[in-house]
Amino acid sequence: MNIIEIENLSFYYQADKPVLKDINLTIKKGEWLTILGHNGSGKSTLAKLLIGLLRAKSGTIRIDNEELNQNTVQSIRRKIGIVFQNPDNQFVGVTVRDDIAFGLENLSIPREEMIERIETYAQKVSMSEFLNKEPHALSGGQKQRVAIAGILAMHTDIIIFDESTSMLDPKGRRMILDYMKTLNDEGVTIITITHDMKEAVLSDRILVLKNGEVLKMDTAANVLKDKITLEKSNLELLLPLKVINRLEEKNIKNEELRSYLWQLSLTG
Amino acid sequence: MAIKFNRVDFKYQGFDNKGYLALSNINVSINAEGEFITLIGETGSGKTTLVQHMNALLTPTSGNVTIFGLKIDQENIKKKKFRLNPIRQKVGLVFQFPEYQLFEETVLKDIMFGPKNYGVDEATARERAIKMIKVVGLDESYLDRSPFNLSGGEKKRVSIAGILAMEPDILILDEPTSGLDPLGRDALLRVFNDIHQKLNKTIIVITHDMNTVYEYAKRVLVMRDSYLVYDGDPHTLFSKKNIENWNLDIPDIINLLHHLEKDFNITFPKQPQNVDELLTMIEEVAK
Ligand SMILES: Nc1ncnc2c1ncn2[C@@H]1O[C@H](COP(=O)(O)OP(=O)(O)O)[C@@H](O)[C@H]1O
Ligand SMILES: Nc1ncnc2c1ncn2[C@@H]1O[C@H](COP(=O)(O)OP(=O)(O)O)[C@@H](O)[C@H]1O
Ligand SMILES: [Mg+2]
Ligand SMILES: [Mg+2]
Repeated sequence: MNIIEIENLSFYYQADKPVLKDINLTIKKGEWLTILGHNGSGKSTLAKLLIGLLRAKSGTIRIDNEELNQNTVQSIRRKIGIVFQNPDNQFVGVTVRDDIAFGLENLSIPREEMIERIETYAQKVSMSEFLNKEPHALSGGQKQRVAIAGILAMHTDIIIFDESTSMLDPKGRRMILDYMKTLNDEGVTIITITHDMKEAVLSDRILVLKNGEVLKMDTAANVLKDKITLEKSNLELLLPLKVINRLEEKNIKNEELRSYLWQLSLTG
Repeated sequence: MAIKFNRVDFKYQGFDNKGYLALSNINVSINAEGEFITLIGETGSGKTTLVQHMNALLTPTSGNVTIFGLKIDQENIKKKKFRLNPIRQKVGLVFQFPEYQLFEETVLKDIMFGPKNYGVDEATARERAIKMIKVVGLDESYLDRSPFNLSGGEKKRVSIAGILAMEPDILILDEPTSGLDPLGRDALLRVFNDIHQKLNKTIIVITHDMNTVYEYAKRVLVMRDSYLVYDGDPHTLFSKKNIENWNLDIPDIINLLHHLEKDFNITFPKQPQNVDELLTMIEEVAK
């Protein structure tokens, strides 16, 4: 079943500068999709269109069989959550606790359950001891974690992570990635926007955007080794794949090493 | 010695009045020339707080920081003994969030603001803006745009251009490459490295990317829980046992090397400095 269907979607901020051009895309329920693309290729814009923060200039978006428009945007926001690229844009509360609560209040969740969810998700992102702090008194990576907790607590069917691990230390990043995996196993549809191929390889499929157009849409394994597509998108091959390429260039045949390196890249 | 920390503690005054100790007993010296330092450590360990002391945006709760001869401590602050402008020009700091730095109507005005503020004339400031926008990988058409209507990566670049245009002696960048695509990241790191090598300037980069640390840094500082726990060269750091206790990743190059050594029972003659060296070494053994 498709949970997201995008048809002929176009968008611009200024009419003479198209930012997304005729995007067609379907995402299956329970799928994990990565969006790759150079800076300015339109990734965040696409994400904002999906949650109805921006309105398409033409084309349609259907979320869970419901067409996204002014009348449906409120009900659709209960199904799709986003962690923004810059967590500062997400903060509204006086304390971290208020902030996580904010999203839940909009969902009219009973108070007791709200308190429970706040504690649970603050713990999941290791921010329990910061619940009474002001969001603005947090370090960059801590802000990212709070933003993540706020969205997780909403239990939406779809979550978009827009470069949400970019300011996390390696351990924090692994923790969030592991958790994305758990959510995905539980059936949550995940869309991650990233430049990190080690993150992309964890997903099912990869969409590559270039200058607002779909450059490629394929399984993670196929995109991973597609040097030309990656280069066109300012991305680079994972290191083991660079080695495979070098061996091929030099006509060195070592099947054992080759398959070993390939396995290594698939595990990130 | 351009910057010298002497037993510095720093406490944020939260509104719960308990305060929060973000720096504990920091002692470190930074040279005015010739350093390429990466500053790493967990989220919340105090990296941003530390660098904000290097241009007196924050001032020590106890202890002192001397910046180009100006001693900054509680006593001197109370006496309002100094002007901070010259320090801010000499030590340029690019913020972690570009939003904190961008405020003018156009990108051009934003980049010109710094140099003009430190006494550079209009024409020269404009010249520098035109030069620096290109240095950070954007074209001149961006100069007329509003800095707020840019993608995350573009904002980041503009904020970097603004500090470069001040031509500081010491350039500090707080997570400058997070959110940039790999090509953009490498290009910017090369820009910093060029400034470092050609002009012999000191560069300090905060990063979570161990490949950056391995391939560029001459010196690494590691923060942990408000303490500075390591000050040394990258090779010693990455050969240390306690690396995992510090939650550091190992660089891709070393990671791959370790895998190959373990699973193919080979030993490489030395640690490769960069990807090219690694590829050549593997080529040799694979033949
Ligand atoms: N609010 C805005 N007004 C005008 N142009 C914008 C705005 N936001 C983004 N853009 C432009 O749209 C393009 C796509 O931006 P974005 O979707 O943020 O890119 P990405 O997330 O892939 O880096 C960029 O060229 C950017 O300059
Ligand atoms: N304005 C502030 N008020 C109170 N605490 C703060 C403030 N800014 C940062 N902190 C706290 O100080 C610690 C260090 O923060 P920071 O230097 O930003 O960390 P890093 O840059 O290493 O991620 C964090 O635990 C953070 O929550
Ligand atoms: Mg973006
Ligand atoms: Mg920081």
